[in-house]
Amino acid sequence: MLTILDRIDLTIPRGEFVAILGPSGSGKSTLLGLMAGLDRPTEGEVRLDGRAIHTLSEDQLALLRRREIGFVFQSFELLDNFTARENVLLPLELVDTKNPRARADELLAEVGLGERGHHYPAQLSGGERQRVALARAFAARPPLLLADEPTGNLDSATGERVLAILERLRAREATTLVLVTHDPALAARADRRIHLRDGRIDRIELGAKGRV
Amino acid sequence: MTLAAYLRAVGRESRHSRGRLAFFVACLAVGVAAVVAVAGLAASLDGKVRAEARPLLAADLAIEGRRPPTPELESGIAALGAGVQRADLRELVTVVALPPSPDGAPGKSQLVDLKVVSPGYPFYGQLVTEPPGELGALLADGGLLVAPELASRLGLATGSRLRIGRRELTVRGRIVTEPDRVGSEFGFAVAPRVIMSVADFASAELEGIGSRITYRTLLRLPEGAGREDAKQAKETLVALLPREGGQRVETWAEAQPALRNGLERVERFLGLVALLSLLAGGIGVAQTVRAWLTARLDAVAVLKCLGMRPREVLALYLGQSVGLGLVGSLVGVLAGIGLLFLLPTVLGNLVPRELVDPWQPWAFLRGLGLGVGIATLFSLPPLLSVLSVPPARVLRRTVEPLPPSRLRRLAFGLLLFAGIWGTAAVQARSWWLGLQFAVGALVAAGLLTLAARLVARVVSRWPARRFWLRYGLAALGRPGSATLSGVVALGLGVMVVLGMWLIERGLAKELRADLPETAPSVFLVDVQPAQWPGVEKTLQVQGASHIDSVPVVMARLTAIDGEGARERADEAKGEGRGNGGRRWALTREQRLTYLSELPRGNTLTAGAWWQDPAVSEVSVEADFARDLGVELGSKLSFDIQGVPFELTVTSLRTVDWATFGINFFLVVEPGVLDRAPQQRVAAARLAPGSEDRVQDALAAEFPNVTMLRIREILEKVIAVLDRISLGVRFLGGFTALAGVAILAGAVSSTASRRGREVALLKTLGLTRGTVLGVFAVEHALVGLVAGVLGTGGAALLAWGVLNRGMEVDWSPEPMPLLVGIGASLLLSVVAGLGASLRALGRRPIEMLREA
Repeated sequence: MLTILDRIDLTIPRGEFVAILGPSGSGKSTLLGLMAGLDRPTEGEVRLDGRAIHTLSEDQLALLRRREIGFVFQSFELLDNFTARENVLLPLELVDTKNPRARADELLAEVGLGERGHHYPAQLSGGERQRVALARAFAARPPLLLADEPTGNLDSATGERVLAILERLRAREATTLVLVTHDPALAARADRRIHLRDGRIDRIELGAKGRV
Repeated sequence: MTLAAYLRAVGRESRHSRGRLAFFVACLAVGVAAVVAVAGLAASLDGKVRAEARPLLAADLAIEGRRPPTPELESGIAALGAGVQRADLRELVTVVALPPSPDGAPGKSQLVDLKVVSPGYPFYGQLVTEPPGELGALLADGGLLVAPELASRLGLATGSRLRIGRRELTVRGRIVTEPDRVGSEFGFAVAPRVIMSVADFASAELEGIGSRITYRTLLRLPEGAGREDAKQAKETLVALLPREGGQRVETWAEAQPALRNGLERVERFLGLVALLSLLAGGIGVAQTVRAWLTARLDAVAVLKCLGMRPREVLALYLGQSVGLGLVGSLVGVLAGIGLLFLLPTVLGNLVPRELVDPWQPWAFLRGLGLGVGIATLFSLPPLLSVLSVPPARVLRRTVEPLPPSRLRRLAFGLLLFAGIWGTAAVQARSWWLGLQFAVGALVAAGLLTLAARLVARVVSRWPARRFWLRYGLAALGRPGSATLSGVVALGLGVMVVLGMWLIERGLAKELRADLPETAPSVFLVDVQPAQWPGVEKTLQVQGASHIDSVPVVMARLTAIDGEGARERADEAKGEGRGNGGRRWALTREQRLTYLSELPRGNTLTAGAWWQDPAVSEVSVEADFARDLGVELGSKLSFDIQGVPFELTVTSLRTVDWATFGINFFLVVEPGVLDRAPQQRVAAARLAPGSEDRVQDALAAEFPNVTMLRIREILEKVIAVLDRISLGVRFLGGFTALAGVAILAGAVSSTASRRGREVALLKTLGLTRGTVLGVFAVEHALVGLVAGVLGTGGAALLAWGVLNRGMEVDWSPEPMPLLVGIGASLLLSVVAGLGASLRALGRRPIEMLREA
């Protein structure tokens, strides 16, 4: 058996922005997967709000993700047969939000795509797609947002714009953000930077703002 | 590139596509199996008939007709030489009865198919009886042989007495097999068989004027005579046949031309139904190839960069298609052999097991040829796109192949049409029928495609509130989605199966419907004019109502306006439209009646009823007049027992046949035929359940009178209809199956995208059950659309055939339509979920790995 992560002991307080850095194969994605309950540790435990999630069944995890966790991916991962609005509606409908359409339109307007709701992903640029993905991630007001290289497929100007929106939404909703990245500039905005190497925590740096 | 290198490259190129290409094989195999089953079954039956040609005729030559051989023919038979043996047979439908009981009550009676034989019969084959014995001895001195079903119905045993005509004969045994009773294996026998000798038949006095007797003279040529001798003897005799027709000569060398013609007709019809499933499979092939190539575009670009010429690349992929076509066809042939083993079980007594020999190499070759042909034909259009893949794709993924030009698309369309026409012509053995089928199939598929596109377009814009519904609707509306071809193929299958079922049900219902209040329930034939008052009295005593009777004069049409009817019939040879009806109308034994009043249910459409004193008038039924090619003023020449008559057409009529009254194509004015040899035909309505009693009473007093029950005749028609329908539905099921294979293939070709979506949906918090539900809704919607379109098509088909073609008043019932839609929905869900099983198992963690 291959050991990917080893002796990771990490607590992330509510509302914190944590960046996870490390070279390819250092275990960044695996760590993110564990936090999201997408994967299970062979040893040890994962707790969310004090609740052990590594013991939950697949279906329980699914229900947990609906309410508690939002995702942003490097390659956007929008449903390509859904319009932008329908993509944002999906999580809202899963948690039975009242008046989901209004909320979806509001979010789309917030990411600057108020007029593009009826477009399919294929009709949008990369940056626009990622903004739809952000709207979708924040739609159900999850307390935890997991982002996997969210600007990895975007040029720097577009990436900057996406990040600005991400930070604004995060600040307003007081969402905990765990962000995996290669990009030191991006990581510099985090409260804490966790460097992984060969599946272990190599070092932890505090953010520029000095908060812990 | 050397051939070996080419083949190696083909092998390597196909290496990682094998799973997907399994659908290619499946789509094709389904259709090939249906084609092989039909061709194999037909070849098998044909082979049996040929192998048993002599026993089936019981002779080397047979002369058959509605009258005994003429003196000219007799001299011809004599001229064939001294070594020729001869036997004379008669066949007729009549009524037999048990002797009356001691208290004088009539014995039980039964309609039978009587065969009268003279010594020598059968020259070939064996008439097997129980108890066994020599035929001459069994029939000597008033002996009879009866079919087992007659024995059990009347409680006959060896030694029982049975009345036939004026005679009372003794049952000497039961008939186990009769070599020359053709067609009875398929359940088309009219009534149970009774065999008696010529000597007894004469004294039974059944040979009245106009009795519907078939005369057969069997000839056995001297030992060692072969096919050529039989053909030569036939030529000698044919030259001596009476000019007005009514008699024909058949040799064993022709091996039952009428039976084999019938079989071939059924084969051609079912062969086209089977072809439809192969064509549906072809749509699947095209779809699979397209999906497969989309995934190979990068590889194609690389091959081109490495210096492979476009046509070498094309050859590489075409080679794989042909190879796969071969594999699919071989699988189909194996499945077809399996079907040939299974068919006798599946189709019940439609096909007796002993007549089926599953080893039919020609049928296998036909399946292989058509399978590979269709596979190549349908994969060519998508394959040609590899020609236009730009090698620059290696550097920039987004460089798409140029769409084919308008000219090229037109060329593909023509090629496809020619191919379908060609294969249909092979199956139908006629270019004309093949063309009709090709056009019909393309129109049906085209309409289904249009309708499916329209529905997809409309529903995909429908603002569904629930996301799972929206997801399913979106899948339908996805442009260029392979789902569409699946919908079309499945819809086509539903249309064929359900359409045939609806037509059969509609007809059977119409035939089973209570006869109109005033309609007769039985016909009496072979009534001698002198017997009629007595018969009528018996009917009245038995409580029959609506008794009606008219005279019938048997005649032969010799000429129309001086031109020989025979020559006209010869002109109508060949397959063309209406020729069959024309030949039949001209050469049939014409039954004339004479009436003073226009009968009920008849309407004049032209001319006037008995107004012209100058000529002998005849009124002709309008459709029959068209078949004969006559109009007002035409002069019809008839031969009535050797006496010529000329009649002038002075009116045309239409007849409402659904009244089941006695109606005639040809009605003559009174006074012309009064003295011609004639008999009467009668109709009456009997109280339900009294038919047996009436038949018993009639048989006791008028043994030559035959009573035919309309109900029984209609049931026979329904039984035949049912068999044909079963065959069509069975084969149509293969089209639906091909549709299912295509749908599964379409779903499977999107497996990687689906897997990614499953992972994403799970990441977003959908449980496994919900994801399964979302997919099920999607496939159910697909099945629903296919079902609704196919069912609509079937209803339209049934309406057209029944209301328009057969003038049956039919309106769709909801139940069969719902069954059609439900079945389609279920098939689609099972196929769709089955094909996405692997995708459904995808785990959300995969979202964090590279796509």
